[in-house]
Amino acid sequence: MPMLALLSDYTVQNVAIGAVLLGVVSGMLGSFAVLRQQSLLGDTLAHAALPGVCIGFLIAGTRDLGWIMAGALVTSVLAALFVLALTRRTRIKTDAALGTALGLTFAAGVVLLTWIQGQSNASQGGLDTFLFGQAAATLRSDLWIMGGVTLIAVALVLCCWKQFKLVTFDPEFAGASGLPVALLEGVLTAMIALAVVVGLQMVGVVLMTSMVIAPAVAARQWAKRLEGMVVLAMGVGIVAGLSGALISASARNLATGPLIVLAATAIVLLSILFAPGRGVLWEQIRRWHDRGTIGQRQMLSTLYKLAAHHRDPEYPAEAGMLDGLYGVRTQGILRRLEQRGLVEAVEHMPGEGHHWTLTPAGREEAERVLASVSPETP
Amino acid sequence: MMLEAFFGNSALMIVMTGALVGIAGSLVGTFLVLRRNAMLSDAISHSIVLGIVVVWLLTHAQSGPIQIIGAALTGLLTVFLTELIASTRRVKTDAAIGLVFPALFAAGVLLLNLYARDVHIDEHTVLLGEIGFIWLDTIAIGGYEVPQAIVWMSVVALANAAFVIVFFKELKLSTFDPQLAAALGFAPTVLFYALLALTSTTAVAAFDAVGAVLFVAFVIVPPTAAYLLTDRLAPMLLLACAIAILSSISGYQVALWLDVSIGGMMALMTGAFLGLALLFGPRHGWIAQEWRRLGERHMEAARTLVVHLYQHENTGRAEVENAVPALERHLGWNAARAQAILARSRKNGFVLQEGRMLYLTHKGRETARSLIEPWAPAR
Amino acid sequence: MGIIQRLVTRHRRSAAHEPLHEPNLALHVEDLTVVYEGKPVLWDIDLNVPPGVMAAIIGPNGAGKSTLLKSVLGLVQPTAGHVCIHGHSPRIQKRRIGYVPQRSTVDWDFPTTVLDVVMMGRYGHLGWMRWPGSDERERALAALDKVQMAHLGDRQISQLSGGQQQRVFLARALVQEADVYFLDEPMAGVDATTERVVVNLLKELRDAGKTLIVVHHDLQTVRDYFDWLAIINVRVIAQGRVPDVYTGEHLRRAYGGRIALLESESFGTPRGVDAPRNDGA
Repeated sequence: MPMLALLSDYTVQNVAIGAVLLGVVSGMLGSFAVLRQQSLLGDTLAHAALPGVCIGFLIAGTRDLGWIMAGALVTSVLAALFVLALTRRTRIKTDAALGTALGLTFAAGVVLLTWIQGQSNASQGGLDTFLFGQAAATLRSDLWIMGGVTLIAVALVLCCWKQFKLVTFDPEFAGASGLPVALLEGVLTAMIALAVVVGLQMVGVVLMTSMVIAPAVAARQWAKRLEGMVVLAMGVGIVAGLSGALISASARNLATGPLIVLAATAIVLLSILFAPGRGVLWEQIRRWHDRGTIGQRQMLSTLYKLAAHHRDPEYPAEAGMLDGLYGVRTQGILRRLEQRGLVEAVEHMPGEGHHWTLTPAGREEAERVLASVSPETP
Repeated sequence: MMLEAFFGNSALMIVMTGALVGIAGSLVGTFLVLRRNAMLSDAISHSIVLGIVVVWLLTHAQSGPIQIIGAALTGLLTVFLTELIASTRRVKTDAAIGLVFPALFAAGVLLLNLYARDVHIDEHTVLLGEIGFIWLDTIAIGGYEVPQAIVWMSVVALANAAFVIVFFKELKLSTFDPQLAAALGFAPTVLFYALLALTSTTAVAAFDAVGAVLFVAFVIVPPTAAYLLTDRLAPMLLLACAIAILSSISGYQVALWLDVSIGGMMALMTGAFLGLALLFGPRHGWIAQEWRRLGERHMEAARTLVVHLYQHENTGRAEVENAVPALERHLGWNAARAQAILARSRKNGFVLQEGRMLYLTHKGRETARSLIEPWAPAR
Repeated sequence: MGIIQRLVTRHRRSAAHEPLHEPNLALHVEDLTVVYEGKPVLWDIDLNVPPGVMAAIIGPNGAGKSTLLKSVLGLVQPTAGHVCIHGHSPRIQKRRIGYVPQRSTVDWDFPTTVLDVVMMGRYGHLGWMRWPGSDERERALAALDKVQMAHLGDRQISQLSGGQQQRVFLARALVQEADVYFLDEPMAGVDATTERVVVNLLKELRDAGKTLIVVHHDLQTVRDYFDWLAIINVRVIAQGRVPDVYTGEHLRRAYGGRIALLESESFGTPRGVDAPRNDGA
């Protein structure tokens, strides 16, 4: 299907809007989760949504997204509190608490699911699509609910931005400044559940982990400040969501959820590698560059000290001796210094190897280098 | 004759499968929990879907040794990629875990979508399993029809048990003191990867029975419950296995009664046992702790009072500080609490009261001194 | 603490007896007791810090110094006792309190700049909904200037050295414009320049009438930097002006004999121990 035709298709439009909403809410809330090292809490809360989905269905009697999301929200938040209680009140560590909550809530969900299926209620067909999401089944009415939840989340974060930022960065200072730290941390934790319920329809329970973590991690590689990170994370979430949705629409048989996750992960990998300043590739390049530069600085100061020792500003240092001093071939470094006009090659005595001497510019540069490594630097 | 009845008893087979999953899971899970790597089991259980699909595409085998090896490799790949990403130091470890396994899982699901639509391996079953159907899929062994799940689960459980027994010392040391273990040449990293490989093989063997996520419950919950009940490694392993077996039996019964997923119910029962451990654990259980705390609180308060009197007696402020009203004003205890503490302290012979003034007895003074100046000799 | 105990504490505080007003004291701590898991961390602490001094709190590791600070700031719930800052409870006085926590309490890989961190110190003054503006920015830059880091405003905090991190925290406390500053080991593990900058700044604040209360890690420099001292080892060993308190006997009591005192000229004459010389020290 050509792209334009795609976009005017009702289902595709719904999926696209849903993907955008998902991107916004998971990028924003995921940023806080990742910075607070609660990444895997997203995983646990996503799995904990399953029993809530079933309960919501039971209450509504039918597949009503509003009730389902409400149920999912309740069980997710309860699971978060359960994890907190286990870690704070018992010797159980965080990872075990997360895994326990995940396994048990999901088991409860499975039990409820089979119980509902046992009741052979006709409309329960498709309940288990919340495992992987069924983006294509998104209705306009669903989007209103998702949009509403997203709006609430955005409003909450905006109005408490300073507080959330400070509590995430330095909870002790925040407490000393008078902020209600426990309350704020509780809200931040519970908000992950909001992201989870919005994502239920689009990517399903299992893949929500990725949507919470990946956009935030990708954004972190590029952003200098939290504000930028959150905005970027939302952007990455939107792009991943749209890409997944559109690819899924244009191909047959490809589920939307996994595509969105793979898109997001690809963006993360690219960001880790290529982000300017922080990217792995940039660091490699900088290291190679530094190795060269450091080598040059060392060489200049060595030549200078040799000249000073011999009280001859034009003291010709022999290449072989320099090689021995450094333990490696110094020709490359010396050539580069020569290109910069800081040293020149001289013939010392016929038949001997290369000798190198500092030019006046080289002497100046060497003095600068030596001054910069002296002890009295601020 | 007996064996035929044994293998033909579907209930028994189902319970046995559950128990084997629980035992195999608990054996590796104990070490994962102690190493604080519990969530890796969740990661592995999801990502090996990719391994299963790839192996199937290559060999058309849905189970058996090839699948098991493929699973082990995928599990190791998962952890390897996670550590690779974390090692760039741009990503924290927990985030790295949450990046790798969903991506691998998504890749697996997509491959399924593309190439394996019509096959028994569908996402649903992989995630949820259906332990009730294990006896549909049997192998002939020595003339008896044995459910395949039992065969492979037994093999895996035995392998895990063998690993734990043979390397018990090394595992113990590596878990509690990896640096010393490395210094002694025990190669804790290799052991760890072996542990993860076994976790992966357990996961794939368990898939037919209980699916990916319930497997996580079996791996993490029984050891966690055992962790609350004991402080030593060998009892922890045994308790975890015991809890797994009991959960399997009870879970089956309840599931039949309610007509729900058997695997799910077994997993929930592990939670029930965790709840029991949380409440009744002899040292770490809630009841035991509250009991101790109650006792502690009395001791705490008595000590506070005694030290307070000691600090202020024979000083200028004694008139004010060592008087009954001071308990409320200065120490911040409300009237009822102050009276209760005072009564106990008098009863225990720490304090004397004359009118509104309080005096330390010799016993009270000695107690205070031992608290504040433990290095000074008793007078 | 059990739920019951927490509720009782809250009730106790709201059905409050009047806390003793000691408006003449910058910090008044009375009968402060903190017990953690059955072990006493602080016992019956009485502290009376006058205003306008540079006060040090020293003591062995694990002796409760950080806990004392945190209890005063309301970060830790005491088992007994209460705290007044300039006559009022700390909760009311948050605006008059500045805090410099230990560097290790923060993940320095957080996406933020030096200037941004310092501006966070103004959040208390801004209130709930207002966003930081040019006024906050100017104050932050001025504070950074005082710690000689104005040129690093845009630097990512992940690229700072230990000393620079400490100075950022100090600048953040400066913009809090407090009357009483609490610092937790601000000079531990920093380079000489940073230490100089920090001490000079603190002295400036002291001369301007502020009170500095510093958990200090280095016995050697107490007499050079501070004018008031409290020695803590679970309880108060001694408190008061440095010359009176910084004695061999007090230090030995605090460190339980595990300290080797170098009795030399530079150390000064410990009172009442074994100092036969009478050279006007």
